This record gives sequence, structure tokens and C-alpha cells, in this order.
Amino acid sequence: MLFLQANPVAQALNSAEWVFPTAEIFHIVGFGISIGTIAAVDFSLLGGGLRRKAAPRLLRDTAPWTLTALTIVILAGLVLFLTMPLDYLRNDSFRFKIIALIFAIAFNYTIHRKVASSENISPPLGILVGSVSLILWVSVVAGGLFIAFVTA
Amino acid sequence: MNSIAAFSQWLSERDWAMDFAGSAQVYPIVLATHLACIAVFGGLILLTNLRLLGWTLKSFSISDVIGRFRIWKRIGFVIMVTCGLLLAGSEANKYYYNPYFLVKLTLLVLIGVHGLVFRPSVYLNTQELDRAPVIPPRAKLAAGLSLALWIGVVSMGRMIGYYEGPSELGIPLGPVKQSLYVQPQDRSLCAIWTERFPD
Repeated sequence: MLFLQANPVAQALNSAEWVFPTAEIFHIVGFGISIGTIAAVDFSLLGGGLRRKAAPRLLRDTAPWTLTALTIVILAGLVLFLTMPLDYLRNDSFRFKIIALIFAIAFNYTIHRKVASSENISPPLGILVGSVSLILWVSVVAGGLFIAFVTA
Repeated sequence: MNSIAAFSQWLSERDWAMDFAGSAQVYPIVLATHLACIAVFGGLILLTNLRLLGWTLKSFSISDVIGRFRIWKRIGFVIMVTCGLLLAGSEANKYYYNPYFLVKLTLLVLIGVHGLVFRPSVYLNTQELDRAPVIPPRAKLAAGLSLALWIGVVSMGRMIGYYEGPSELGIPLGPVKQSLYVQPQDRSLCAIWTERFPD
């Protein structure tokens, strides 16, 4: 496992001081865009924001932005991870975040997409799916922040 | 000591400030909430501006997008600012000379000015924008500036934690919140820190 920490990528990344903060900024702005566009759909499913019956159009219009930004977030996240992989793997908050992220992405591209793109979404279903989506994504962000606060 | 320094020092010495900044649970939870607001509500600012630029949500009228997102953006803004005031206020003695924090504050003031300048002609004038055959340049200008200012605010916000403190200027630093200044990832900063403050 030690080769992970001393890998050439990590050495290259750690040799410049600006790499980590720059990747963090891309990571944060990127999740603002990706999760933000998902949250806009969630608000509509909850019955606030744009009306519930507008959800399919809203989803169609925002999906490319979500996917592009999600790709940027994950790439930036990978750079952050590779600077010291072992420390992250040992970190409980990081593990929680990755599990939450897997659930969030899976949920987003299965149930969430199916419900948000259907006509005549029933209010209880809309509220349920919108809430689960918001909770999952907020957990991912919170899990990410707590990486710096839990002692590994 | 100038009055801003004196006030910041006074503020950060209040009981609530010391309890808050020293708490291993409350502090990160408030910080996480502040950050989650970027995701949940920042996206609405983004979508509003992208609509004004004509880049997305074109099947919705500008009035619809701005009008229906407004209440959510306000709720988000209140939560975000409340958390921000707690975070900055409780450690005001370490924030008032942090250049990234000062740039962030300046950008926030500029966002206020942006609102004053563009609200009458853009954000409160959406029906006229919807009637226009093409989106007027002033609406696109407002959107572009808003995007740039908000991305600046987010970036500067992250950088606040990287400022090492002007110990070379002889300004005394209080006991520094380890998690804010020396994150496990920042090995170079860690090294600098141990050098400067051996205990």
C-alpha cells in the first residue's frame, strides 16, 4: 500500500504549493454547479421553485451542466485524493463521503431521473425523491468537509 | 492597535465566540452548512444567470426562473450569511488582517452594488426582458458579472484557510485553530507552522 503514498503522481502534485488549493477551488465551484443544478430539480420535485410538472423540462435543460460539472468535480477530487491517498483511505469521513457519493450518483441516474422525467409526478413521490436527493448530496459535501476535522 | 483590530480582538474574546471556535462539533457543522449552501442555493444563482445569458432553461421564461427561485435564494442567503457571521465573528482576531477574507468581503460589497445597479433594469424587470426579441446586453452583462463575482467569493472563501498569518509583521496571533490553518493535507504549511510556533 505504501507505493500509493509515494507514487510519482503524488510526488509531482506535492512538489507545487498551488496544486492543492487550485484543485480545491475547481472541486468546490464544480460541486456548486453539479449539485446546484440537481438541487434546482429537487426543489421543483418538492413543489417549490419551478412547478412540479416542470421537472422533466428542468431536468432536460440542466442535465448536461450537471454531468459536465460532475466530471470536473470528480477529476479535481481525484487530484486531491492522489496527493496523499493513504491518509484519505484511513480517514473515516472520507470513507463515509465516498459511500454517500456512490449512493448519490446511483440514485441520481436511476430513481431520481426516472421520477423527475415522468409527467404527472404525484406530490408524495416528488417530495420523497426530492428530499432523499438533497439529503444524499448534502451528506457528500458534509462528509468532504469533515475529512479535515476527524483525526485519522 | 487600530480600532478594527481592537474590535476584532474584543469580538473573538466573547464567551460565545470562544465556545464556538473551540468546539470540535459545532464549528465544523456550521462550516459544513455554510459549504452545503454553495451547493444547494448557489446553483440557483448560477441557473438564474445562465438563463439571463440564454445558455440554458430556454423553455422557461426569465420571469418564471427569477420569480420562482427568488424565495429559495433568499432562504439560502440567510442561512449562508448566518453561518458566515458566526465563523468569521468568532475568530475575528484572525480574520481582520487575512487578505483573502478582505478580498472576499470586498467582492460581497460589490455584489451588493451589482444588485443596486441591475435590480431595476434586470432582476425586477423580467417581463420586459421576456418581451424583448433577444436578451438585452445589459441583462447578459449583469449575469456575467454576477457569475464572476460569486465564483470569486467562493474561491476567496476557500483560500482564507491557507493564509499563514503575518507573524513577520509582529502582529500577535492567538492560539490558532488547528483545523482551519493546518489541514492534514497541507504538509508544506504544517512544516512552516511548526517552524514558527514550536510549541
